[in-house]
Amino acid sequence: MSALGGAAAGGEGINPTASVIGIVVLLIALGITFFIASTGGTIALIGIIIGGALIGFGVHFVPVGGAPAAMGQAPGIATGVAMLAAGAGLAGLFGGAWAAELGFAVALGAGAVGGGLMMAITCLMVNVIYVFGMGIPSASGKVDKDPITGDTFPQYKSQGTEGHGLPFISYVGGVIGGTLGGLGGTLIYLELLGVYEAALPILYNVPLEEVLPVAVSLAGIFAVGMFLINAVLTAYNITGTIEGPHDPKFKRFPRAVIAAAVASGVCGMVAIMVVAL
Amino acid sequence: MSVKVEVSEGGVPHDRIMAIGLVGSLVAIYLTYLNVLTGTQLFSFFGGIGAVFAIWWGTDSIKTLCSYGIGTGVPSAGMISLGSGVIAMLLATKMGVASPIGAVIIAAVLGVILGFLSDKVLNMNIPVMIRMLTELTIAGALILLGFSSMATGSFAFLDMIAGSTTFFGIEVATYSVSLIGGSVIAVIFMLGGIAIQHPFNACLGPNESQDRTQMCAAECGFLSMIAVAVMSFAFLSVGAAILGFIVAFVGWIYTYMEYIKLSKRDAFAWLDAKPIREPKGGA
Repeated sequence: MSALGGAAAGGEGINPTASVIGIVVLLIALGITFFIASTGGTIALIGIIIGGALIGFGVHFVPVGGAPAAMGQAPGIATGVAMLAAGAGLAGLFGGAWAAELGFAVALGAGAVGGGLMMAITCLMVNVIYVFGMGIPSASGKVDKDPITGDTFPQYKSQGTEGHGLPFISYVGGVIGGTLGGLGGTLIYLELLGVYEAALPILYNVPLEEVLPVAVSLAGIFAVGMFLINAVLTAYNITGTIEGPHDPKFKRFPRAVIAAAVASGVCGMVAIMVVAL
Repeated sequence: MSVKVEVSEGGVPHDRIMAIGLVGSLVAIYLTYLNVLTGTQLFSFFGGIGAVFAIWWGTDSIKTLCSYGIGTGVPSAGMISLGSGVIAMLLATKMGVASPIGAVIIAAVLGVILGFLSDKVLNMNIPVMIRMLTELTIAGALILLGFSSMATGSFAFLDMIAGSTTFFGIEVATYSVSLIGGSVIAVIFMLGGIAIQHPFNACLGPNESQDRTQMCAAECGFLSMIAVAVMSFAFLSVGAAILGFIVAFVGWIYTYMEYIKLSKRDAFAWLDAKPIREPKGGA
């Protein structure tokens, strides 16, 4: 939601020239990483890029209502894209980081479940407050019928609003978005942790156990930074509010996936350079 | 293309604020190098001053960017600023004496790429997008570098990952009691992020005036600096940490009083509500 009430920017469609330039930048980042950190670093960077793209894609599922939702005039959770994505993704990231010692697949699963759980609880409590606190029914403004339950909306939608509450399809979207965001954030963290665990002991000539806190903390702060970059870029793509996977704005996701992949590639290259140079 | 929402007319032009913020921040962060030259830790507080300069500058950049309807709220700009800034800053700390300059250069490169992605790939089509995201990334990197050098007394990577702890009276080198190993940098990240996004978010509106917003930015900067000064007790000598705390506290008191004065100036009317008085002889 625009804080100043300006008209939402962001036209439809992909800008082909800019996208190609972005992909070239991504390939240059991959090339530089291969040059300074050989195959291991490049594989880690590919993991980071996939993680970033997952975050960019996942944020589109999250029902973001912004300020109008807080006044019951638009459906979704009543805060901005960046805040919601950070909340869900970081919850997943912490879950995955906690499980990092239990193996790659378990950690990824823990991250995904952590993010999904965070969004499930958020969506549930949002609906409790909407229905029992504000006394408004859930009705989408973008579609007439819920694609999953088949519930109809128009007769419940108040005049002058874009819908209100959090319909079931938005709830499902939120959980999917949280799951993908947590998965992507954890993937970035695990790849960076692997790079630092391998490089730091050699760089400073100390056993891994002593330098492990530095590796964990570096990977964590880089993962948080990259998560926020990807979430904000996706927020810029959505420009304001989105109801979930049934919203027409959802079709814009290819742009965000390209932008998030390029941003993650460049930032991941810098993060790997910290130990490779 | 979106409608430009008018922000306060007149005042100091953005270019001048950028110049003052960038130069002031760099000079102040470089002054912490006096620690190395003189062998003390007393000059660490200059790092915090540098971060306040960067916050002061970043606030005006956020204002310029968000005067276009970016549709995502003001805080998102602060988040992307610090998120990309931390990446640039950590690589720059590897450069030794050149760290602050290196942080500016690396952050500028990252910022141009992020600005291009937002403006062209995501079709935002906002004229100032690339420039402002570049400025915000540089400001974010300088905020983190400034606060980190204030907490540890140095802007070198090795001093940020290694600390020392006393174990049964013996000084032991350890990696876990350090700025990065102890994840203190995550706290600095949020302190900087809140300080850079709050002022314009709090002061925006039809009655927004530049000097008030900028004073709020300085106030937020010094408030974060107080928290960093408290954290610096873990890494610096007591004298240096207390000096940093006093500088931050005095700066905060001054800017807070000035901010309240400016708020009263801009307000239509204000009421100095006194606390409810207890009647004599008990209720």
